[in-house]
This record gives sequence, structure tokens and C-alpha cells, in this order.
Amino acid sequence: MISIDNVTFRYQNQRGDEAALKNVSLTVEDGEFLGVIGTSGAGKTTLALAMCGVVPHEFKGDFYGAVLVDGEDTVEHAPSHFARKVGEVFQDIDSQMVASVVEDEILFGMENFGLPHEEIGARLDRVLREMGIEALRERSIASLSGGQKQKVAIAATLALEPRILVLDEPTGELDPESSREIFALLRRLCEEKGITVVIVEQKIKLLCEYAKRLIVLERGEMRFDGAPREVIAHVDTFKSLGINIPPVAELSAILREGGAYAGDVALTLPEAERMAREAMA
Amino acid sequence: MNLLSVMPGDSFLHRLNPVTKLAAAFLYGIGCILCDSIAMEVVFILLMLLISASAGLLPRALALTRRLLVLGLFMFVIQLLFVRTGAPLLSLGGVTLVTTGGLRSALLLSLRVVATMLPLMLFFAVTQMNDLCNALVKRLHLPYRYAFIITTAFRFVPLFSSEFAEIQDAQRARGVDFETKNLVRKVKLVAPLCVPLLVSSLKKVNSSAISAELRGFEMRGRESGYKEYPFGKNDALALALLVLMVALCAALL
Amino acid sequence: MIRFEDVSFHYPHTQASIEGLSFHIAKGEFVALIGANGAGKSTISRLCNGLLRPSAGRVLLDGEDTSQTPTSRLARKVGFLFQNPDRQICENTVREEIAFSMKAQGWDEQAIAGRVEEILAAFDLAGDWFPFERSRGERQRIALAGALACEPQLLILDEPTTGLDYRECIRIMDYVTALNRDKGVTVLMVSHDMELVQDYARRVLVLEGGKLLGDGDVKRVMKDEALLRSARVLPAQIPALALRLGEGFEDVYTIAEMAGAIQKRRAEASR
Repeated sequence: MISIDNVTFRYQNQRGDEAALKNVSLTVEDGEFLGVIGTSGAGKTTLALAMCGVVPHEFKGDFYGAVLVDGEDTVEHAPSHFARKVGEVFQDIDSQMVASVVEDEILFGMENFGLPHEEIGARLDRVLREMGIEALRERSIASLSGGQKQKVAIAATLALEPRILVLDEPTGELDPESSREIFALLRRLCEEKGITVVIVEQKIKLLCEYAKRLIVLERGEMRFDGAPREVIAHVDTFKSLGINIPPVAELSAILREGGAYAGDVALTLPEAERMAREAMA
Repeated sequence: MNLLSVMPGDSFLHRLNPVTKLAAAFLYGIGCILCDSIAMEVVFILLMLLISASAGLLPRALALTRRLLVLGLFMFVIQLLFVRTGAPLLSLGGVTLVTTGGLRSALLLSLRVVATMLPLMLFFAVTQMNDLCNALVKRLHLPYRYAFIITTAFRFVPLFSSEFAEIQDAQRARGVDFETKNLVRKVKLVAPLCVPLLVSSLKKVNSSAISAELRGFEMRGRESGYKEYPFGKNDALALALLVLMVALCAALL
Repeated sequence: MIRFEDVSFHYPHTQASIEGLSFHIAKGEFVALIGANGAGKSTISRLCNGLLRPSAGRVLLDGEDTSQTPTSRLARKVGFLFQNPDRQICENTVREEIAFSMKAQGWDEQAIAGRVEEILAAFDLAGDWFPFERSRGERQRIALAGALACEPQLLILDEPTTGLDYRECIRIMDYVTALNRDKGVTVLMVSHDMELVQDYARRVLVLEGGKLLGDGDVKRVMKDEALLRSARVLPAQIPALALRLGEGFEDVYTIAEMAGAIQKRRAEASR
């Protein structure tokens, strides 16, 4: 469980004096699938980094409030203390690599953890398979495309079997189909193994489909927190914030306004079809 | 193509222990430094090309040799003009420009530079820095932290050079013409690119360190590690041959 | 404007490549290049301005063979916006940054000064900003401003909206659209985002495995489910919904059209 209690954070050397996070409070229960959305500069990345203590340990600044990971304060412990519990995939995919070859990149964390030899081998094979990158095993990381690197980074984190996974735009360079596969895998891990997933994303269509809970940040403040369907229902607010929502959700808002439809906001294509047929009946 | 990137393979050279490869490259270099014969330096260069060919690295070795020869030529000219021993070889208006001693020492030095550097550069073609790091820890019992930092520094070299190539492409795409023969102009064109390179490099080094920390870098012990790096017969053979070579070069001094 | 004649390209050591590709983009078109990761989209965009040279075939820019002309020369005609603005930006102020390409392309001082101020105003940028401290969206805007300052005739956008939020994305795309409409600048955009493609492009090239699978009007492509499926591209939501709803929704592409069509059918049903 991650509990974020009234956290305010202002980066050192940041232009202006606006805080990156302002009085954010949030509890992420075990086994949740939480999506974080917001415009750029809203504090999404800062929030993700605060969940494993990289903020404020590696990025200095004024930190108020507390972040507790399973009851342990991230200010009191170094980020490495949480390494076994929290796995984090960063936004900048190139710079989180520590090895030159795919296999070594995935081995790195497991070797550090001192896992038994057979266990390492088994997990290596498993994550390569899960991410569909068996063929890349011996490839040099420099020769991979951005999307392939993203899969490697996720695999390297999954191999450590963290209880909490924090991913900052993990599918930014992936095409929609591969992105969907990764979301589906994360959802499966969340449901089958009870892993907590926190994911920062611009791809709101996918979040609507896979996340169980959405939060919306705007200029460091928490604007909405709830199930995707409830959150996305604030169509007008999203428009004024400049956040894109699924076109079918916008369609449901128009139909509701025109009195043609009274049900829940549609988030996916099948839901939209049902909505349209209902409206036309 | 990057001249320091790894060329994967399964040759005798590739299969040596990373520590052996490093030691061998150094021993070969030491041999070439000790050696005092122009003919022998040429032999060492040719021998190295032959060894690279056995690992399928001849094109890389030739490309490296060509570049090292440019460096060698530079040293050659300097030595030629500054060493004044021996009989005059070329005079102009009563001023001795080149002497026999100068020619000999210039030739020896420039060839020595090529012969010494070649194995060290080729070392990078057959060794993954990860393997070197792990082997240094497991076999030489170097502290993991230092082994990791040293090898990471080398791992970043090809990364930076490919990043630099990308930056150069981006600049070309907006009209910068790098194809100039004028050295001063070239420097002027390339210098501004150091800014984006520095920005991205600093970011990379920093996030790489954070990423390592979050994946348990501090927990690593000497025994943890998936791959083993045993010393084999081939390692002993390679090292014995190279020690012999250095001893011979030293004896002939 | 640009013509690919039986172009093939192979990267060394990787399988990603394009194979026997031919197409022509006329002046003033707005073309989107879509396809899954590794389909060859970025390769094509880099072949257009000579950053890559074809292994076989020819790429002609206004009839000029790109493999005979240095990229720096082609840059006078082709503006390129990379996915990552940080490789482009290398000056200490936004003003100098925007002047950079004009200087590189040999504009005279006076023309540069005037043009820079014009561009700063148009893109809502402050000339004395330190570019490296700005947000990702602002840096992308600075890079685009720099690329457009030289008035290119062909603008290539390589996934221009990656890492941008919707507002920034709309902003950048609106500038591009205005240029295309008012000045006849040809636009070639690489994108994964089918909603973006539908909203802005007029013609779509569909790529799969380095081959051209489809080429046509954006509306036709949006409704060609079989084509999109074989290119492993997910269709935009509204056209896909229109297809599912079948008869009476043939001409529906946008949210407004969809809402209108549904309401019309509703009115008919209640009558």
C-alpha cells in the first residue's frame, strides 16, 4: 500500500516558484490498477517518482507531507530500500538502461538481488516470453527501436517481481496494438498476482479500458479521483483542461445533453455501440 | 559504424575470459612499447591483423589501423623534425631538415603507436562491458561498485557517439553543412552541438544511476551473478604466449 | 513535390527495412504515414531529406535526386520535426535557436531579425527563454518554430506529438494545418494516433513490413477495416463505430456527424 499524505514538492532550481505537487493526498491499495492523467507539467512524473523515494532523494527540493510505502516513510529510507517492493519504469527509456545487451539488462536487477541461479534463469525466460521479446535476447540495446527498448525496460522490472509497479508513460513509443498488449499484461498481473499497478499515461483510451481507478492532476493539484467512468463523465472539465478523452465518451456527453441517452458514459467501442442502439430505439 | 562497438562472434578470441582479453591487450601493448625494432613493430601490426581476421574482425581492424596511421603520421612528422641525431639526410639552403636518426625514431614511434593501440581498441570489439564488469568482480575480486563504474564509463562511449550522430543528423536536417574541409570552420560547426550532447549525457548518467539504485545495485555481493566466467586452457595458453612475447621484447632491449 | 521510385532500404545488422516502395506526393498535400512499430515509417521520413539514402531506387525531391544532394542543401526545402526536440535545440535562447537554421542556410541578417520576431509572435514564444528549461511541449514548439522559420516547402513530422499532451498537440497541429492551407506547404506526418490522422490528414499511406499496403483518401482508409487490421493499426473510434452501426452511417466520421446521425435516426424512430 502506498499512502501519500498531503504532499507538496517544489523542485530546487525550478523556474518560477510553482510547486510540482500541491497538497496531494492519495492512498493506493494493494492490487489496484491506478491510471494517472493530466496535461504536461501537471506533476504526473513527480508523483510517480515520489512513490519510490526518488523524489526527494535524487531530485532535490522542498518536500512537505509524507509518502509511506507499506508504512515506511520514503524520506527516512533511501530509494534502494524500496527496491524489492517497488519497481519503476521511467519515462526516458534510453537512460534507464544499465547494460549493452538485452539479456544483461534483464539479469542486472536479479543478480543484484542475489536470486538463486535457476530462479534467475526461469524468470529471464518468463519475462522475455511475456513481453514477446525472446528474439531480442542477445541483441545489443543500441540497435533496438524505441518501442523494443520500452519492452526491455518493462521486462527488466517485471523480472524483479515487485509488489508495486510504477510506470511512467511505458508505451510512449509503442504502436497502439503493442501498447494494448502491455496494458492487458499489466491488468493480468494485477488480477492474478495482486500486483499494484500505477501507470502515468497520455493514452486515455487504454486507461479507460484497463484501469480500475483514474486520478487527474492539474498544475500539481488533484482534480479528480475515481472509477474511470465517473471521472471521464466530467467531459466539459476535460475539454477546458485540454485533456483528450475517448471520442465515444464525448459522443455520450452530446447524446446525454440532447436528451437522447440517459445511461453511463461509454468508454469503449462495444459500449458505444450499445449506447447508440439504445438512443436510436 | 562505431569503431568501439562490440562485434558479436564465437571465435577463439571471443570465447576468452574477459579478464584474459583485457590482460592480453595490455601485454601486447607493453610488448610493442618495449620493442625497439621497426621491422618487429611491423610484424606486430600484421600479426594483430591476422589475429583479428581469425575472429572475423579484419574490416574493423583495418579501419582502426587506418585511423591510427593518421595519428602515427602526425607523430612521425613531429619526430622527424625534432630528433636531430645521426647523419643529415635532407638539407635546404645549409639547414639540415631531416637526419637519419630522426627518420628512424620517427618511423619507430609512429609504428609503435599503431601497434600498441590496435589491440586495446580491438579489445572493445570482442568484449561486452557487462561481462568485463562481472568477470572483474568474480575473478579478480574487484569491488562491484568500482568495476561497474569503470565499465559503465566505457559503455557510455558508443552511446554518446551514437547520440552525437543523431544530433548531427538533426542539425543536418535544418541546413548545417558539416562536409567542409576547413578545420576551423568544422570546429565552429560542431562546437554548438556539445550543448545538446552534454544536456542529454548528464541526464543519461543521472537516470542510469537512479535506475541502477532502484534495481538493487547496492545489494550486489561478489557471489551473486548469473553467468560464470571460468578461466580455461585457452586463457592460460593466450596469457603464456603473451608473457613470452613481452619477455622476448624485454630481452632484446 | 516528392517521388519514391521503387525505393529499397536496408539497415545494416537489423531486419527493419523497406522494399520496392513507389509513391508520389504532390505539392500542397497533407499525407499521414501509418503502420505498426517497425513498418518503415521513420525510414521513409528520413529518406525524404537525405538523412538516409536508398539502397536501390530513387527518391526525387522536386525532381532532384536526394542521394546526389547533401542533406544540408535539401534542408532548404524540407523542414523536419523530430520526435525528440532535444537533439535539435542547441542555442542558449529561443531567439538564437530560431535564427539558427536561417543562419545555417545563409539568410541575410536583416531578413533573419524580422523573421525571428514574426515567428516568436506566431508561436507565442518568448525570445529570451532558456530552451533547455522549458517543458517538453514548449521545447517541441520551439523546435517546430525553428523548422518553420525557413519557410520549407515540405514539412516532415516524425511522430510530432509523442510525449505531448492534447492541448499542446492541437496547438502544434493547428499551426501546421494553417501553413498547409494558407501557404500550400506539403506535409508528411508519421503518426500512431488515428484520431489525429483523421482530424488533420487528407491522404493516408498504410505501411506494413516495409511495403505499401494501402494509399488513399483518409475517409476511405478509416473505414477499410481489413486494410487497417492487416497493417496492425487500430481504427479511430468514431469511424469504427459507424461501421458497426452499418446502414445510414456511411458518411459519418466525426463526433458531431455521429451525434447528428444518431439523433436523426432517433427522431425517425419516434415518428
